[in-house]
Amino acid sequence: MNTRFLIGRLIDLSFVLLGVSILVFLMIRLIPGDAVAIMLGANTEITPDRIAELRDRLGLDDPLVVQYGHWLWRALHGDLGTSIWTGRPVLNEISVAIWPTVELAALSVLVGAGLSIPIGAFMAQARGGAAEVAVRVGAIAGLTIPSFWLGIVSIFLVAKLLPGVSALGYVPFTENPLGNLQRMVLPVIALSLPMLANLSRLVRSAMLDALGQDYVRTARAKGASRRRVVYRHALRNALIPFVTSVGVSVGYLLGGAIVVEQVFAIPGLGRLVLGAISERNYPLVQATILVITATFVLVNFAVDLLYAAIDPRVTN
Amino acid sequence: MAKHKLAVALLATSFLTGAASAATLDVAMDTSPAGLDPHLVTAFNSVLIVQSNIYQGLTDTTAGLQVVPNLADSWEISADGLTYTFKLHAGVTFHDGSTFDAEDVAASIRRVQSTEIASPLASRISPITGIEVLDPLTVRFTLNAPFAPLLSSLAGIAIVPAEAETNKEALQQVPVGTGPFKFAEWQPNGFISLVKFDGYREAGKPHVDEVKFHFVPEAATRQVGLASGEYDMLPSIDPATALQLQGQPGITVHQTRDLGYTLVGMNVTRGPLGDARVREAVNMLLDRQEIIDGALFGSGVPGGPLSPALVDWALPTSEYACYTQNVDGAKALLAAAGVTGPVKIVMKVLPRQDTRDIAQVVQQQLAAGGFEVELVNQEIGQFVTNVFKYDDAGLNALLDTGRNVTDPAARKAAYDAAQRQLACTGPIAHIAYGALSTATGPNVSGFEINPLGRLTSLVDVTLAK
Repeated sequence: MNTRFLIGRLIDLSFVLLGVSILVFLMIRLIPGDAVAIMLGANTEITPDRIAELRDRLGLDDPLVVQYGHWLWRALHGDLGTSIWTGRPVLNEISVAIWPTVELAALSVLVGAGLSIPIGAFMAQARGGAAEVAVRVGAIAGLTIPSFWLGIVSIFLVAKLLPGVSALGYVPFTENPLGNLQRMVLPVIALSLPMLANLSRLVRSAMLDALGQDYVRTARAKGASRRRVVYRHALRNALIPFVTSVGVSVGYLLGGAIVVEQVFAIPGLGRLVLGAISERNYPLVQATILVITATFVLVNFAVDLLYAAIDPRVTN
Repeated sequence: MAKHKLAVALLATSFLTGAASAATLDVAMDTSPAGLDPHLVTAFNSVLIVQSNIYQGLTDTTAGLQVVPNLADSWEISADGLTYTFKLHAGVTFHDGSTFDAEDVAASIRRVQSTEIASPLASRISPITGIEVLDPLTVRFTLNAPFAPLLSSLAGIAIVPAEAETNKEALQQVPVGTGPFKFAEWQPNGFISLVKFDGYREAGKPHVDEVKFHFVPEAATRQVGLASGEYDMLPSIDPATALQLQGQPGITVHQTRDLGYTLVGMNVTRGPLGDARVREAVNMLLDRQEIIDGALFGSGVPGGPLSPALVDWALPTSEYACYTQNVDGAKALLAAAGVTGPVKIVMKVLPRQDTRDIAQVVQQQLAAGGFEVELVNQEIGQFVTNVFKYDDAGLNALLDTGRNVTDPAARKAAYDAAQRQLACTGPIAHIAYGALSTATGPNVSGFEINPLGRLTSLVDVTLAK
């Protein structure tokens, strides 16, 4: 991996972040309603003086360009602002909320991507058999069932079948490892199922493609076992589109996490950003979305690096 | 050729019942509060957590809305209604261990009134102009004018430690009060935990060791969580949820008449709505019972400007002629006001299920009188900027009388007249007062619902688990 490649990607990353920050900055300000009206509330004694004072304190009276300039200047110095509501630095709020989301997303990728390889390989080999059809129907169901529905139904089932089991909320792993994992089971299933279904189908077709290639026949002809052919030769070639797809799926996963966190009452980034949007907590929305964007871009950057590891022909 | 079967590894799941610790009352609510300072919070959920549980006032209001002593044991009101002398309860301590005395009361009142703190509660005690500490357990307030609602207002003014008087930040994160529960932990967007305050002045109370307020945004999750025993209490649930939970085994739905209301507000500076006759016609077109049956699942009663829960004050709706649906009468009023042809009106609606349902019924009913109502959803942030712009000298005079006169009969007469004026020609067509419902699980006993929506009875709740 040469440094020019790395530097090029980092420059790309900074442009993406800059673009996203401008977009988010404009979008949240285009939503009707403003932070001041919400903060003062309906039953407060709203005097024009108080509104003006608050707007001034929050810097909401400056032209948008000036507001953005201020924000960018501070952001470049590592200060992403303070939450309008709590007065705490937004990075503090994010650093608390990020862990449940990271855990949820990481476990879901692990389950979704990890299981998709054996399932996809199975589907490719057993093509046309009754078992394969059953799995394929399952995969289509997995793709079409929305996470929130699956989430609610699974909560309901657990409540009925395993009364007394805590399936909602979040406890940090460091505090109570068992309780943490127990509460992660249902959200991870709900979140990873669409990814698992999607990736299994992808692995299946990539495997079928690879298994039809000449080198597979050659490998079999020279006496390699079927297992070795499937896993050493065919799978390795099928992995390139798979890894690309995992990278893209992480984006959907982060979006899906917002819904799943909502359903399972997990205090993660999704809850944070949703709350921030409805409160018009501009600095918090801005920073959270930047963090999510940066994660997405970095994951895809890592995917690019993986290509080279999988396929020596892809170096630069 | 032998088919290879691949073992599909299934995620090993170990479901273990959470270790049963001390008695914890798990309460689920939709949103997390922004802060916990009792003089600054306005959001319903913040008030629900802090009032009565962490903080107490000099007085308290019972479920029957009677004013009873709380941190004050007794009080004397001078004959002219201008001085109130409170005798405070002895031996009360704050959660931080300091002793409660008259200085704390004085500091709390000053704090609410300070422009620096800018408390939204300030107007509730604005007539207090003098605060005098007579001895550590006696405090006297002087008023610039008689203010009849003072004692009930004071129930909502939390007493905080004197040291917090000028501090705008500290209590938002870590509240310190005299209530039965003290603040323990806050996991943002997760939960707020309050634990039993061992130094609480009533020996043997509270009965539970911990109250945990979980923030669960999804209504279905809260509902299933209550049924499964994950949560013990869902405060302030909507009518549809209440109806669904009512039949379920082990679940009790506590209900009382809500002091809050549903209404159609009219901006009196907009077109024909500026004419009192048009507003009266709007009232006459509405069939309130139909709205209650259709949109509130029958749980509600028609109401005027004051909630029927205020039994001593609210006039029965039979006193308002315009509350009987009368389409011809409405048309006649519109004609008299010179309104012809269809009247186009935009109605802004909060995007909540019950308000949207009400709006659709209202839209139909108003159509009978020739109103073409366009419904526009508006988020709360923008909704609060809608205004009535109603200003009427006669009404202001009546309200001033109600505030300043201490003779109950005279106050009642003034408020009666104000209600009559507001009901038919005011800027608001009042529709209904719904039921306030709180659901509790099978382990909870001793809970009593409070019509102000506060969880005043958590101190008496016991848990069987």
